[in-house]
Amino acid sequence: MSATSTYVRTYLTRIVVVVAAVATLAGYYFAYEPISTVSNELNIWSSLITSFTLFVGLISVFARYSRSVMNRDNNWPFHLYCLAMIVVWIIWGNMIGMYSTLYQTLYMSTKITLHITIIGQLIFFSVSGMYRTFRIKSLRTAVFAFFTVLIVFLNMPPLIAPFPALSTAAYWLLDNPQMAAARAMVMCGGIGGVILGIRILLGIEKGALRVTGGD
Amino acid sequence: MMQIVTSVVGEIIRTGRVAQFAFLALLAIFTSYAYSLGRKGRTWDIRPLEGLDAIDEGIGRSAEMGRPILLLPGISGLNNAQTMAGLTMYGEVTERAAKIGLDTHTIMTSTQAVTAAEAIARDAFVRAGKPEMYSPGKYVRWFGGGQFVYAVGAAGHIMEMRPALLIYMGYFLADVIVTAETGARIGAVSIGSTTDQSATPLMGMFCDYMLIGEEMYAASAEITRNPLAIATLAGEDWMKLIVLILMVVGVLANMASNNFVWQLLGM
Repeated sequence: MSATSTYVRTYLTRIVVVVAAVATLAGYYFAYEPISTVSNELNIWSSLITSFTLFVGLISVFARYSRSVMNRDNNWPFHLYCLAMIVVWIIWGNMIGMYSTLYQTLYMSTKITLHITIIGQLIFFSVSGMYRTFRIKSLRTAVFAFFTVLIVFLNMPPLIAPFPALSTAAYWLLDNPQMAAARAMVMCGGIGGVILGIRILLGIEKGALRVTGGD
Repeated sequence: MMQIVTSVVGEIIRTGRVAQFAFLALLAIFTSYAYSLGRKGRTWDIRPLEGLDAIDEGIGRSAEMGRPILLLPGISGLNNAQTMAGLTMYGEVTERAAKIGLDTHTIMTSTQAVTAAEAIARDAFVRAGKPEMYSPGKYVRWFGGGQFVYAVGAAGHIMEMRPALLIYMGYFLADVIVTAETGARIGAVSIGSTTDQSATPLMGMFCDYMLIGEEMYAASAEITRNPLAIATLAGEDWMKLIVLILMVVGVLANMASNNFVWQLLGM
């Protein structure tokens, strides 16, 4: 890798990221008009770059599936179908308009039907997972299973109605240990996220900002 | 005097964000100090994480079985710290796996992340001394932008490739039910990690090992044992100590009918 390429990939990228990060943070914290303007302008740039990267995704799908079709890999007919549908929907959307009633109806009918199918399957996946997890094999799993059953009962009024104390116990579990743990996770996660960002900006992490042969 | 300071600060910093800014500044100071100590040779011990030890075991298992590795960074983009943590770990795992000739794949839901992941994969192969193994579009997949598009695409990919090690590290929601259960059915060793409250119990249910909360962000520092990365974790711990002290003082003050901590935080 040439020195120029290393410089551009390591330092120029990092400078752009640092400037953008500082401007965005400053725009969020400080009520100073020029900073807000720069921050908004950078957000517009970010949106434009994001839109452009959609082509990268499409090219990735086309490259992968075309190769699969040409090599007659496993499931190649599905990949061919996917490619054909992408082309058809792009052409069609441009011809009749993406917001036309026909396009929207067909798109939503396809998307929502498939979406609901997957959501319907979640219960089977969940039951399968629960069957493995909540089997009592040790004291630890017994405690886990007991409290899980308690929470399940909470959502079954006919079962919990005769035992109001169980309801109190279940709500205590949700409002105290569960909420405390959830809040601890959110707070520590927030701090950890900032620290990770600092590590990436400093080039300690092997992210996209640190190039081979650089620092 | 205090009123003047408050007024001036209120004019410069947006209302309700003074405490946030103070916390961020404090965190930056702590991290910089810990980093400078790290550069001078100061070292810190960190406790071993079971989930991370499982990564090396999983890579070894993949090598024995001759199967690839799959790392899923979730359904968010580069604007999410969890995705960044997943991408960072993707670099580490790809490098380790490439050294013994193993493929590490990933699937993105954001096209922005596809470009970043490609750069990370290429660098990882170069670092591993196997640049010839890298091929654009081979390791980084994109099936679409939706939550369940991602889940179904990933599940299909898992069934097709049958990876021996599956790492979930990033932002997930109910989609993890589909991908993790599919992984469990093919017998892959699975390691889950997210800071999302709704996905954490799901990962606990479906995965063999877990990294909880901020362990996900500390993972790359722990796995590489880089002293400078570990130094930043020390800065993080100091900040957590401050938060803990503030919480205890706040609770005690509240019990004494004093809400100065609330006022301090702008609540």
